[in-house]
Amino acid sequence: MEEQLSEARILELKGVLKRLTAGASYRRMLAAHEQGRPICVASAAIPVEVLYAMDVYPVFPESLAAIAAGIGKAEEFFEEAKRRGFSPSICSYTRCGLGISWCQKSAFGPIPEPDIFITDVSVCCLHVTWWAYLEDHFQKPTYYMDMPATDDPWDPDYVAYYEAQIKGMVEFVEENTSAKFELERLKQALHYSDQAGLYWKRILELRKKRPSPVSFRSVAGEILPLVTALGDKDCADFYQALYEIYRDQARQGSCPAKGGEKYRLIWNGIPIWHHLQVITYFEEKGANFVWEPYTALSWGNKTPSGRLDPEEPFRSLAIKYTNVLTNMPLEKRFRYFDEAIKEYQVDGLVMFSNRSCRPQSIGQDEVVELVREAHDLPVLIFEGDQADPEGFNMAEAKNRIDGFIEILEARRR
Amino acid sequence: MVIQEFRNAFERRHDLCMSMKREGKGIIGCFYGAVPKEVIHAAGLIPVQLLEDRTERSEEHSGLLPFLCGMSKNVAGQIYQGKYSYLDGIVVGTVCDTNRHVFDIWVYRKVAPFLRLLRTPAKADREALEFYAKDLRKLASELGRISGVEANGDRLRQSVELFNENRALVEEFQSRRESMGINAREGIFVVASSLILPVERHTQLLRTLLSEERPPEAPQEDKPRVYISALNFNMALDLVSLVERYGGEVAGFDLHQSARYACDPIPLDDEDPFLCVAKGYLRRVPIPGVYEFEKRAEALKRELERTEARGIIFLSQLYCDAYAMEHAILMEKMNRWGIPYLKLEAEDSPGSLEQLNVRVQSFIESLS
Repeated sequence: MEEQLSEARILELKGVLKRLTAGASYRRMLAAHEQGRPICVASAAIPVEVLYAMDVYPVFPESLAAIAAGIGKAEEFFEEAKRRGFSPSICSYTRCGLGISWCQKSAFGPIPEPDIFITDVSVCCLHVTWWAYLEDHFQKPTYYMDMPATDDPWDPDYVAYYEAQIKGMVEFVEENTSAKFELERLKQALHYSDQAGLYWKRILELRKKRPSPVSFRSVAGEILPLVTALGDKDCADFYQALYEIYRDQARQGSCPAKGGEKYRLIWNGIPIWHHLQVITYFEEKGANFVWEPYTALSWGNKTPSGRLDPEEPFRSLAIKYTNVLTNMPLEKRFRYFDEAIKEYQVDGLVMFSNRSCRPQSIGQDEVVELVREAHDLPVLIFEGDQADPEGFNMAEAKNRIDGFIEILEARRR
Repeated sequence: MVIQEFRNAFERRHDLCMSMKREGKGIIGCFYGAVPKEVIHAAGLIPVQLLEDRTERSEEHSGLLPFLCGMSKNVAGQIYQGKYSYLDGIVVGTVCDTNRHVFDIWVYRKVAPFLRLLRTPAKADREALEFYAKDLRKLASELGRISGVEANGDRLRQSVELFNENRALVEEFQSRRESMGINAREGIFVVASSLILPVERHTQLLRTLLSEERPPEAPQEDKPRVYISALNFNMALDLVSLVERYGGEVAGFDLHQSARYACDPIPLDDEDPFLCVAKGYLRRVPIPGVYEFEKRAEALKRELERTEARGIIFLSQLYCDAYAMEHAILMEKMNRWGIPYLKLEAEDSPGSLEQLNVRVQSFIESLS
């Protein structure tokens, strides 16, 4: 049996984690700008490894919006969007992200003027409209990582088309900034990305243990570097350190659920950033989230082998980034739930019907239908918004959670 | 007068399709305007755009989430109610997340014998054109298996010519509508029916309409003239009524759906007609974000100048984030040019616009 981590080692590992906190990432951005590195306003799910390989610093408005919402500093950005006539029915990341761009500041302080914009086209249509607006309004060079909507993301033609887009992205960055491309650096970035993805996967697998040592509330924040910093060595170190810490906690049998882990749950959807205490409330009731499509299927090494191949960097990135969950037929999406329910010994599902994210919310009822047919598990459906707290009532949420826990309890008896 | 036939066709579209079906014709639903109808036509099938219908509250049958747009809910509801039972298939071209992902549910629920999501690039460079043309060829072959007609290059070229001719006639109608003494309400039906009638029939009706002797134009009162930019036909018709009630006149209208169809002609400048269709659709159909905002705003400005409209009303359907975004962005452009505008957002239900009547009234008065 392996020994517990020493205090000194834990401190050392926590030091590694501190390098990529949200605040640290903000300071890194300022430093990168001072060093003269190009700044790119990027959408989530672009192959960010390429930017790190080219010394371009990416800023992700969606992540900044989630952080602003998480620390209660998003209001002024929503107000700015409202003042400019942007309807509240538009995605809250988009409204908040645009607010950040107009105000040229994040929740932590001013942000430098960007040099270029790059967006992904597949995750949602607003990724196109939003960046088209940025291009039009701020008049900066903009690149669209084209990945048409599909229900067959595994088609070789489709993957090849996206691979050409990645090469096009390299040309775009070279044409519009001082950055230069070197294949060896991209291979290195892929190696770091692969390591980060590998340790992330190991962390998620620790959640199969009873009790799971991992709190969804914690991983919701810890996923940030996986969105923003893949390709950076610090990102690989971050997940290795995080894995060591969680593995140690798993050995000790620690668990975020108060009074021990009575129920193991799935959360479907983006976290409710403005009320993360919803998750804590579940934990207080003895319910622990052990699997989420958002953490398990949307980020990390999304290749069939679970690894990236640094020797075939473009191909490997294309296979990874075309693997978009919401581009898969509903039966396929259900199969992921089916496997997770069995492997993670799940007692119930919480589905977040997120009015901002149509791709994640449409079809959710059908997946629930399939889950109920196959597993007869209780399901709680929340309606709300990922970043805009407007209309969200915590007291009401608690009532619903209480009712759900009672159902879980009754089934246990 | 032929003008009534457009409205009859539009309002009785399900009956018309049922009767075509009984005659043995194959019918394919297009969801929405980003589906190249030419390819469906070339395969010997009739393309029919899936459209909202207010005769029943079909959206209540959709089972879709409350925060999705009424149009998608309404169309889905009509499908579940069996109103589209005559369809041999549905082809979806992505214009927004809702229309793209409702497709997944339709596949799961097997709502039609043939369901196809087109892979439509957001770019129009050589790689994108070839990628899209390849998917169109595949679609043509799949449709050919339904109809038994091979949608080969020659047939597609002929279909493109037919649709181009129809587009040109729609454009001619739009430019001559007022001088022909046809009001905006009737005009909306002329354009809307282009989305549901067989192209040959619509062209024939348009030819007749354009060659008709019309009564001489009555002298116009000096009414504030406004231009309407709206997506939903029922809501556009409601808005016409409101504008007229408050003493305004609708000088022109840009129904986004028809704008997608009746945009520029498809250039037949390549040996491969599939590539021509790709060129005609990619970044040429005014889908928010994919179509340049500046170009879209310039086109609206030209229309305002042509129709001598003093202001523009943007009408969005509640929860349509694509047009909510586009309208906010177009407002910036209108501000820059000093063009008066009004942005309205409402649900498609009888009376929903009535709640906004004061805003319409004050906008019309401000233009007087």
